[in-house]
Amino acid sequence: MTTDWISLPLVALPLVSSIAILAFVAYASPAARERMGPSIRMATLVFSLLMLALTTAMFFGIEYIEGTLDWASLSFGSFNYEFRYVWIESLGIHWSVGMDALSFPMVWLTTFLLPVTIVATWNEKNAAVYFPLVLMMGGALIGVFVALDLFMFYVFWELTLIPMFFLILKWGGYDRKYASQKFFIYTFTASVIMLLGLVTVYFLQPENLSYAGAWTGRTFDIPTLTLHAQSANAGGAWFLGESLQKILFVMLMIGFLVKLPSVPFHTWLPDAHVQAPTGGSMLLAGVMLKMGAYGMFRLPLAMFPHAAEHFQFALMTLGMISLVWGAIVCLGQTNLKKMVAYSSVSHMGVILIGIATMQPLGWAAALFMMFAHGIISPMLFAVCGAFKHHYHSMEIGAMRGMAKHSPWLATSMMFAWMASLGLPLLAGFVAELMMFLALWHFIAAEGWSVLWMVGPALVLALTAAYYLWSMQRTIFEGGDETQPPESLKGQPVPDIGDAEKLAMVIMAAFTILFGVMPWIALDMMNGWTVAFFETLLIPILTGGA
Amino acid sequence: MEQIEPFAEGFVLALAPEFVLVIGLFTLMIVPNMGDAKFRIPLTQIRVPWLFGGKRGKLDSDPRLPGLFATVFFTIAFGLSAVSFMGGMNKTQIVTPGGTTMLQIDEFSRMFELIFFGALALASAASVNRLPATSRADRSLNGLYNNRRQVDFYILLITTGLGMAVVALSQDLFMLFIGLELASFSTYVLVSFIKESKEGTEAGMKYFIVGSVASGVGLYGLSLLYLWSGSLQFADLSVAFAENGMEALPLIALGMLLVGFGFKVSAAPFHFAAPDAYAGAAAPVAGLLATASKAMGVLGLLRLLLVVASPEATEGSAVWLVALGVLSVITMTWGNLAALGSTNPKRMLAYSSVAHAGYMLAAITAIGALNWEEGHVDMSNDAALVVVTALIFHLTVLVCFKLGAFLVLSLLESEKGGHTLESLGGLAKRDPFLAAAMFIFMMSLAGVPPLSGFVSKLLVIMGIVKVALLDVTVNSDLVFSDIHWVWYLALLMVINSAISVFYYLRVGLVMYFHEPEEGREGPLPKGMPVRFAIIACLATTIYFGVGANQLIALCEAAANALVGAW
Repeated sequence: MTTDWISLPLVALPLVSSIAILAFVAYASPAARERMGPSIRMATLVFSLLMLALTTAMFFGIEYIEGTLDWASLSFGSFNYEFRYVWIESLGIHWSVGMDALSFPMVWLTTFLLPVTIVATWNEKNAAVYFPLVLMMGGALIGVFVALDLFMFYVFWELTLIPMFFLILKWGGYDRKYASQKFFIYTFTASVIMLLGLVTVYFLQPENLSYAGAWTGRTFDIPTLTLHAQSANAGGAWFLGESLQKILFVMLMIGFLVKLPSVPFHTWLPDAHVQAPTGGSMLLAGVMLKMGAYGMFRLPLAMFPHAAEHFQFALMTLGMISLVWGAIVCLGQTNLKKMVAYSSVSHMGVILIGIATMQPLGWAAALFMMFAHGIISPMLFAVCGAFKHHYHSMEIGAMRGMAKHSPWLATSMMFAWMASLGLPLLAGFVAELMMFLALWHFIAAEGWSVLWMVGPALVLALTAAYYLWSMQRTIFEGGDETQPPESLKGQPVPDIGDAEKLAMVIMAAFTILFGVMPWIALDMMNGWTVAFFETLLIPILTGGA
Repeated sequence: MEQIEPFAEGFVLALAPEFVLVIGLFTLMIVPNMGDAKFRIPLTQIRVPWLFGGKRGKLDSDPRLPGLFATVFFTIAFGLSAVSFMGGMNKTQIVTPGGTTMLQIDEFSRMFELIFFGALALASAASVNRLPATSRADRSLNGLYNNRRQVDFYILLITTGLGMAVVALSQDLFMLFIGLELASFSTYVLVSFIKESKEGTEAGMKYFIVGSVASGVGLYGLSLLYLWSGSLQFADLSVAFAENGMEALPLIALGMLLVGFGFKVSAAPFHFAAPDAYAGAAAPVAGLLATASKAMGVLGLLRLLLVVASPEATEGSAVWLVALGVLSVITMTWGNLAALGSTNPKRMLAYSSVAHAGYMLAAITAIGALNWEEGHVDMSNDAALVVVTALIFHLTVLVCFKLGAFLVLSLLESEKGGHTLESLGGLAKRDPFLAAAMFIFMMSLAGVPPLSGFVSKLLVIMGIVKVALLDVTVNSDLVFSDIHWVWYLALLMVINSAISVFYYLRVGLVMYFHEPEEGREGPLPKGMPVRFAIIACLATTIYFGVGANQLIALCEAAANALVGAW
């Protein structure tokens, strides 16, 4: 029995069901909408759990039915669960999906975060619209990760903007109008520039590669294009010529760097995060930022390795600045969520540094960082959301002595903060350690100055400083004499609800799981990286030697 | 190619959609005038029912009757064109006994007829309930309307349709101009149709003055062309151009004709009347100006620049290239920047329409670039095909979402709103479906996938990029400066569409974020025909985006009929 179609419901189920629910809800009266809320919430939870079961089965079970699937030893350029359907024949556009060890962890992560997000924001208002939007967001994100066709990739890439735009706009904070607009325009601008780059690549390929359009004779198929670029790049030659490869690399990277985001394109992120509702932030930080890194691996790095090597210094610099600048700005924040948002910028710098090392270890570190940060940062934002929800304030220091009043929230916060600053045995530590080793190795091998290590070392201290300082001011300080914050207006200080507790426990459990047993995910990432370097990069960058 | 003389066998069948419109014209003139008048045969007392005049019945004085008639006739014309297009096209030429080709029926003209009739059918359906009839005693604005006035409105719509159809079919510059003027004059009146309101009159006046000046300049260019070549047949003109295209006279004439068509597509700097006209006209009429009328202008440009001035790769044939390229850049940038600052949604849509005109001019420039240098000729058809297909696709889907957006505004207009962005406020609460539809139209205008606006923009960009890369041989010695400069038009186009997101998104923000204006809290007017038209627009906006395959094939067939004939 072939199970190739199995990736189809992963995209179609959330999109179709959420659009159907939204269309249904659109005509209900406000009162009816209120009544339908709980059942719609339950339905989206069931859908997302089904998807999680499906991806988990993909990891464990279905491979035994197929008999041949093994994520860790997929050769480069081959995919599991490939499915292809002609979409627009004349232009060579296919509905083409498939997963390899680069995309599968992201797909699993998305399906993992969906139910967790739904549970963590169980009591969100206007549930009948909120939860379908979250589900739709999940479908669009999965679409980005499974797409093997440039057109389809771009369609889903842009489609993610719309549910997120509405999540921020309808459920966001006081300045949500500005934030949602800024978020949309920033990423849209970057991606249309990327689109022009993609179209230019499309017409620069030779005619009649496989899956080419009947009319244009060109293909949008990502694996085909990658393979063609590989052969054109071989032996030290530049695919599309030196100047053009550099320009196209920059055009594509603009799209991905803004999404990642890297300094200097990062300013939309703190605004979007601070204003976004908890669920939106969790998905935004957990998966949406990773789209940028994922896109880099999938397109520019695979197609334009020469240009990547050429811009190595620039990438390394950008990564280093993001890392250090993000951490420094964190120190000065008084808003809890803004601090967490800037810590995301800092962690995305780690990914960029890992990529810029152009070493298998660095890339595996980047991949694992994408995954680990995808579990930890939603927990950070869930904590922030709970804090806001219970104390009606985001200011660090608005609530003191939380350990006494809200032990659950205090514990979750402490755990999440520790995970994010890279405590050993938690998932983030593995990624950071690998990045350090890769950077050392890179500096030694390439003869760069040791001063490059100053940044990461400094950031270790800075990260510890801002996290511990904020913890000290919110959790411990004040002790017994502490007064509840004024924003509570004298009401008793609550602890977080059962649903939130459940979500926190799940996220904490998986942070520990991937910290103690990183190989569950790391094996396939290593396999993918090694295959990438052996088949693609090493023959090209060493001039065919 | 079959050739038929006027009124010979097969003539009526070949022009069936147009004849349906003529029948519709007469029906609209006759039916609402029928009453109970009787004719007494002289010298007897026998009275024969005569039907014309007298007291009108309930049915034929119904204010909705003319609109329904017009909608039905436009739909029939649309259906006949579609049947003739899809059911095995029979290419036909209408020639005079003297051997002059007047009209030509092929895939290209049929495709444009589909665009025109589709837009007109939607617009007339949308205006069925717009002009309510009340008793004469009511001297208010609405009271002045009655059934006859609506007859005028729809007669003008039908003559607009006839004029546009002639433009689509014409093979002769003079025929083309007659069609253009027929359509233009009808639209001048349509724009100022609400004569009781100040804006309507002003809009009509401005539109008329600027439009007739542009027409006059164009007509003068036409006469110069005739002076030069002695014929206005496209076929003759293109031969003459291939031989002596560098002479001053035809180039000046071409420039003057560009002015005439530039006004129709509202290209900068001939666009000044457009925002006022759109803002003053009723929303369905403004929607027509932005879609069908613009398609007519683009059609004229394609005929003039591609059929006449460009089929043979001589140096003179593409002299207009740089001018057009500059014009396109100015147009798209100006349109987008002006749209950023406009608070009237109709003005905003007008400026966005100017920006879209800029994108289309960029695409036409790309076709010109094919013939700029020698050596492209053998490859040019293929690339020109992509660009022309992109243009036709763009014009077709523009009817879906741009007209759709105007129709949503027309519902607001019928409660005296729609002149400020704020009157859209709280639309999401008042009518979630309309707000969602408007948001989807806006996203489609901005070019967000998977909507049809994205596919059309992608096709235009692809066409331009393809032309820019024709000269390029792909090897590792390729340098960036090898790429033709029209590539930068594509770059400017994507930057411009990024700018445009600002104002499209603002509409969404107002609908979902702002509270309704005072006195506008209740639900919107019902208006079944308008809502039906909006649903049709919405469905096609989404369908042509997700399933663009078939429409691209149709547009390709149409483009092939134009380009393949070179």
